[in-house]
Amino acid sequence: MTTTRTVLDPTSELVPAGIPKVERPATIDGLRVGLLDITKPRGNVFLDRLQQLLEERGARVERFAKPTFTKPAPADLRYEISTKCDVVIEALAD
Amino acid sequence: MMAGVGTLLAVVKADCPTCTLVRPVLDRLDVEIVSEDDDAGLERSWHLGIDTVPTLIRLDDGGAEVERIVGWSREQWEAFTHVSPLGDELPPHRPGCGSKTQDPSLVDELRARFSGSVLRSRRVDLAELEDEHEAMFERGWTDGLPVVPPTEARVLRMLEGTTRAPDEVVALAPPDLVECTVEKVAVNAVMAGCRPEHLPVVLAAVEAACTSEFNMHGLLATTWFSGPLLIVDGPIAERIGMNSGINAMGQGNRANATIGRALQLTIRNVGGGKPGVVDRATLGWPGKYTFCFAERTDTNPWDTLAASRGVDGDAVTLFAAGGVQGVVDQLSRDPESLTRSFAACLRAVAHPKLVIAFDAVLVVSPEHARIYREAGWDRARLHAELAALLQVDGSDAVQGAGGIAEGLPAHLAGVTLPKFRDGGLLIAHAGGGAGLFSAIICGWASGDVGSSPVTVPIGT
Amino acid sequence: MHDIADLERRGVVGAFVATVEFVDGADAQARALGAEPAAVFVEHPIQDRTDDEMRAIAEGAFEEILRSVTA
Repeated sequence: MTTTRTVLDPTSELVPAGIPKVERPATIDGLRVGLLDITKPRGNVFLDRLQQLLEERGARVERFAKPTFTKPAPADLRYEISTKCDVVIEALAD
Repeated sequence: MMAGVGTLLAVVKADCPTCTLVRPVLDRLDVEIVSEDDDAGLERSWHLGIDTVPTLIRLDDGGAEVERIVGWSREQWEAFTHVSPLGDELPPHRPGCGSKTQDPSLVDELRARFSGSVLRSRRVDLAELEDEHEAMFERGWTDGLPVVPPTEARVLRMLEGTTRAPDEVVALAPPDLVECTVEKVAVNAVMAGCRPEHLPVVLAAVEAACTSEFNMHGLLATTWFSGPLLIVDGPIAERIGMNSGINAMGQGNRANATIGRALQLTIRNVGGGKPGVVDRATLGWPGKYTFCFAERTDTNPWDTLAASRGVDGDAVTLFAAGGVQGVVDQLSRDPESLTRSFAACLRAVAHPKLVIAFDAVLVVSPEHARIYREAGWDRARLHAELAALLQVDGSDAVQGAGGIAEGLPAHLAGVTLPKFRDGGLLIAHAGGGAGLFSAIICGWASGDVGSSPVTVPIGT
Repeated sequence: MHDIADLERRGVVGAFVATVEFVDGADAQARALGAEPAAVFVEHPIQDRTDDEMRAIAEGAFEEILRSVTA
């Protein structure tokens, strides 16, 4: 049974349906990369090493942390990341 | 099987006292029972277009319907079935009940279920946590304003507004030159907020916009302001509730607002013409969300714009419109003076020193139009008088003249040129009955490199 | 995953890293969100790893993480 949750594609359908991802840059060299720690134990060690590796490739890394891993990040934090970062990597969920 | 009777079908439903009443009669006849209470029967009933139950249908040997009767009437049934007496223990007649397929709470679902297969567009399932309106924005399907999510039920309902088949190709939509079908227009018309009766106008507009003369592709790619303007003529305008009077070019009227918007959404979604990518307008203008109005007939001194361009009756004219310039003239009482006002303002279209390259529409409001009607000036007269007043002396217009670098090439210094090319000035009529203001709508580059206005009939 | 989906909506290239335990959960969340953020999965468990082991896991995942955020 069709529902109000199914819609018809209004486009030429030349590209796959679905929400497009943000266009990826060619390289992270020179870009601002945010590392978002979900604050589960051990994640910070992982992110520390990730930061070193990213910096070796020319990225400018900034660290962020969620107050709790049980909920999505607060709006303020998401806004802050969106103004300060070109790329964001969130880790480490288990 | 009785000879000469063909095959009999009876469409019934349980919740119908008349169907229950005639059950013993049906049992006595050689008839196939189609029950709306099971899915197969309901679908069959839908395709047979059953309004009332019970309905008795005779099919010929090839399975085609010959005739049908509804409700119970002994006399009718005996004649129909050639069986007599029938149901003499029953009252002589009793009306039937509404078919399940007519139940208003079910109709949309049934239409989607049983006729939905005519739709060819890709189905997109929204995820459980997606808000249906945000989902439209996130997929890049809107013009910045919210759109109506195009569900199957809504699109099928929209398609009832046209007699054309959903898979009929209306035009090749630029810039990607994709086949734009009636169905795709309907999907975008739903999103725009149109009603089914608006669809024929949108279809005609899409067709007109995609002609090489109108040059939608060029219009999208230009840095100039313009977007398509739709001017609708003919009885259809009033019938579908368009506005040709007070605030005709403004907001508030659903038909005006959504028809213009449907064209824009179709072009951007089907053709791929999105701002920043293909659409490179430096500034643009709000008319690119929607710009559509109907010509007013009761106060029009002339024929319709479409008729003057060779198309009588229901028609839409597409014009590459770049903005509206208000013209004030509250003191002219004779046509000569008013026309000089118009000419002075028309001189400034695009730039006072530029000629021929830009088209324009002069929308004469009712109070101004009355002056022409009372003086007996027909359309041709007004055009001729304007043309005479809009002869531009090359010396005033060449580059550098008046201390302005912009202008015509120097070699045109001694030449007199018309402000508008032949056919470059259109005159239309609309507006409220009070207000000594008319409007000039600037066009875009005219002719081969630009766009020419296109008028097409509106079908069904 | 919600965070990355949200940040992508704001124009930030995003990816998240989780252990393989999270694969099914990630799938379900993606379906519910209607978006499929870039995901990199590393071996499980991580709670009892030494610091050196954690660093090794980071090094092992690095190229894939880079690929998920560059063209």
